[in-house]
Amino acid sequence: MGIAPNVGMNPFPGEDAGVPAGPPPHSPVPQLEATPRRERIGRWFNSIFRLLVTVLGFGILALAALFIIVLAQGAWPSLLKFGPNFLSTSTWDPVHSIFGVVPFVIGTLLTSAIALLIAVPVSLGVAIFLTEQSPTWLSGPLGLVVQLLAAVPSVVYGFWGFIVLVPYMRLSVEPGLQGSVGKVPGLGGVFGGTPVGTDILTSSVILAIMIIPTISSVCRDSLLAVPRHQREAALSLGATKWETTNFAVLRYASSGIIGAIILGLGRALGETMAVTMTIGNADVIPKSLFSQGQTIASLIANEFTSAGPGSIYQGAIIEAALVLFAITILVNVIARLLVGRVLRVEGGS
Amino acid sequence: MSGTTPNGAPPGASDLPQEMKGRQQSSSKMAYMAVIAVVVIVVIIVLAGWQLGWFKSNSSTPATASCPAPVSLTGAGSTFVFPLMYQWYTTYTGSTVNYESVGSGTGISDISAKTVDFGASDAPLTPAQKTNASGILQMPESAGAVAIIFNLPNVNFAAGKSLNVNGSVLAQIFLGTIMNWNNTPLQTLNPGLTLPIDPISVQHRSDGSGTTYAFTQFLSSASTQWATQVGYSTTVNWPVGTGDKGSSGIAGAVETTQYSIAYVDLNYALNNEIHFAAVENPTGAFILPSVNDTASAIADSKDSTNLPLGTGNWSGVDVENAPGAKDYPIATFTYLMFYQNPYAAYGSSYTLQKAENLVNFLNWTIHAGQSYSEGLYYVTLPSSVVAADVVTLDSMNYNGAAIPQAACG
Repeated sequence: MGIAPNVGMNPFPGEDAGVPAGPPPHSPVPQLEATPRRERIGRWFNSIFRLLVTVLGFGILALAALFIIVLAQGAWPSLLKFGPNFLSTSTWDPVHSIFGVVPFVIGTLLTSAIALLIAVPVSLGVAIFLTEQSPTWLSGPLGLVVQLLAAVPSVVYGFWGFIVLVPYMRLSVEPGLQGSVGKVPGLGGVFGGTPVGTDILTSSVILAIMIIPTISSVCRDSLLAVPRHQREAALSLGATKWETTNFAVLRYASSGIIGAIILGLGRALGETMAVTMTIGNADVIPKSLFSQGQTIASLIANEFTSAGPGSIYQGAIIEAALVLFAITILVNVIARLLVGRVLRVEGGS
Repeated sequence: MSGTTPNGAPPGASDLPQEMKGRQQSSSKMAYMAVIAVVVIVVIIVLAGWQLGWFKSNSSTPATASCPAPVSLTGAGSTFVFPLMYQWYTTYTGSTVNYESVGSGTGISDISAKTVDFGASDAPLTPAQKTNASGILQMPESAGAVAIIFNLPNVNFAAGKSLNVNGSVLAQIFLGTIMNWNNTPLQTLNPGLTLPIDPISVQHRSDGSGTTYAFTQFLSSASTQWATQVGYSTTVNWPVGTGDKGSSGIAGAVETTQYSIAYVDLNYALNNEIHFAAVENPTGAFILPSVNDTASAIADSKDSTNLPLGTGNWSGVDVENAPGAKDYPIATFTYLMFYQNPYAAYGSSYTLQKAENLVNFLNWTIHAGQSYSEGLYYVTLPSSVVAADVVTLDSMNYNGAAIPQAACG
């Protein structure tokens, strides 16, 4: 079950049964004699097997290396022409062959950040309800539904977003936000512009809806893995349900929860179809939440078919893919450092 | 894990790793890792070399026949032409044709990489793309028009009338200088209508598209500001507006977004019965697009009787703004691309038989194939264009020798 670590006690026995303590009365393993011949074959097989898995292991490295080599080769015309300016300019003009990636980096980070802002509290709430509050007869089916939602293809979310969410955002949510929060001094710019429906906010909401099942199902797994004695100890000290959840359970599961958030962030950063269908696909730096924008993934999905082979345009699109690759690696490294820090501070699981 | 043998050791295969550990781990580990590292590096180099095209094999089997035995031909590219192409390759019996509807840019990539027998694109090759694919030919195999679609709630049009627009007003709308529907230049074109004050929601294609090419070419000829600031291509740097993916995306956006305006293939608009605008032509008439008015526009256009050779540069070809009184002004060709000398391009493994199959199929598309155009809302090629295409096909050769042509299919 997901990332559940090896813990002896399971708060829900029967659902995810741990390893039985003693040997079963009758071993299912057939008794084999250790003859010299068997031993020889076994040794031979063992070394073949080890070679195989080692090659497969290094194969991943080779694949990553090949990936970077081929991308860099494809991006070469653009790397040569723009150099570091590619990362610091914001014009994307295929007709005049001027390319800068800034609008898309901003679009990618902005939509993912807003999506996390919306999705993390909701997902945590879902996971806490499922593990701490929900009656047992309900938590099983609900958990199943959450996991099912995590497996829905993104194009389906995108289609739903385009047909249902976009008009709803344009006609209700966005004018509503503009009329209420947008009136707060200083926030007018954030909620400025004409609500069109296909914009940064809508695609962030779609991303949030897509990553909520991912984050909450992984969170649920790590909350389930918290030993029952943690809860019992807190309750026996007179803690309320809330205090138990907050101090005994969430802290203990914090590394798993952060892992879940990183998983969600990874999905948000690379999501393509649903974003393309709802973000408005304008190659400009978004001025407000209601501006059209573009993420790196949606840029590639939109434009890769129109760039001629070997052209600077194609090079620029491939270089944008390299930038997305770098952002993903960077986010993962930062997240890993963060997890390490939390583990040291909390001394939890 | 469970169960023990009489001597107390774990049973079965689990005793082997323990033994192996002692014997192999320390002594051969370094050599082992070195071997793996070498293998991995060789794999990287081979894969990279394969990617970069270091290994290409040549073998040969030439053959001849007057109507050659059918072989399989592969094409890729334009999604716009796919419905017509589908009709063609399911009807044509002279060869087995496979067509992948993957987009014009990919079509150009694939024919340049010589992974297909022909490519299809709604935009002609740029000079750079032509240089990149030495020996390539291009010819128009069909044509279409770009319709202007809009969403104006509560505006009632008289029967047979629609919104009137012209190139200059469209350019200003898509530049963002005309921002409201009742802006004077737009209202002046529509004296009988009360246009609303609401802001115009501009929608454009987000993916590369031959429709965008034709539309921006039209705007470039109508507005010098558009020509210098934006220019024309399959994707451009749009000054304003929302991008939607594909014809269906843009049509869906206009349907659900009040006060929006956009452009879409005439073919798509007619198939889906979308209401479109009348566009002013050079004689000052406002024309609602139709397949016939587009065909006459292409026939009347200055460039259609003065087309480049198949080897020439088509990126300047402009069949828009034809002078006829009933000609619809936003017309465009769609192109097939293939190699003049398949033997030289693909190597001797490309048989003469296959070259004959290719030229016969291409010939069929511009002659018998044209009869399927109108039913699918494509524009039938005028005879002047077919004549130019025939010259292009006749210029094909197989290692210097003319390729025998026959009507097969």
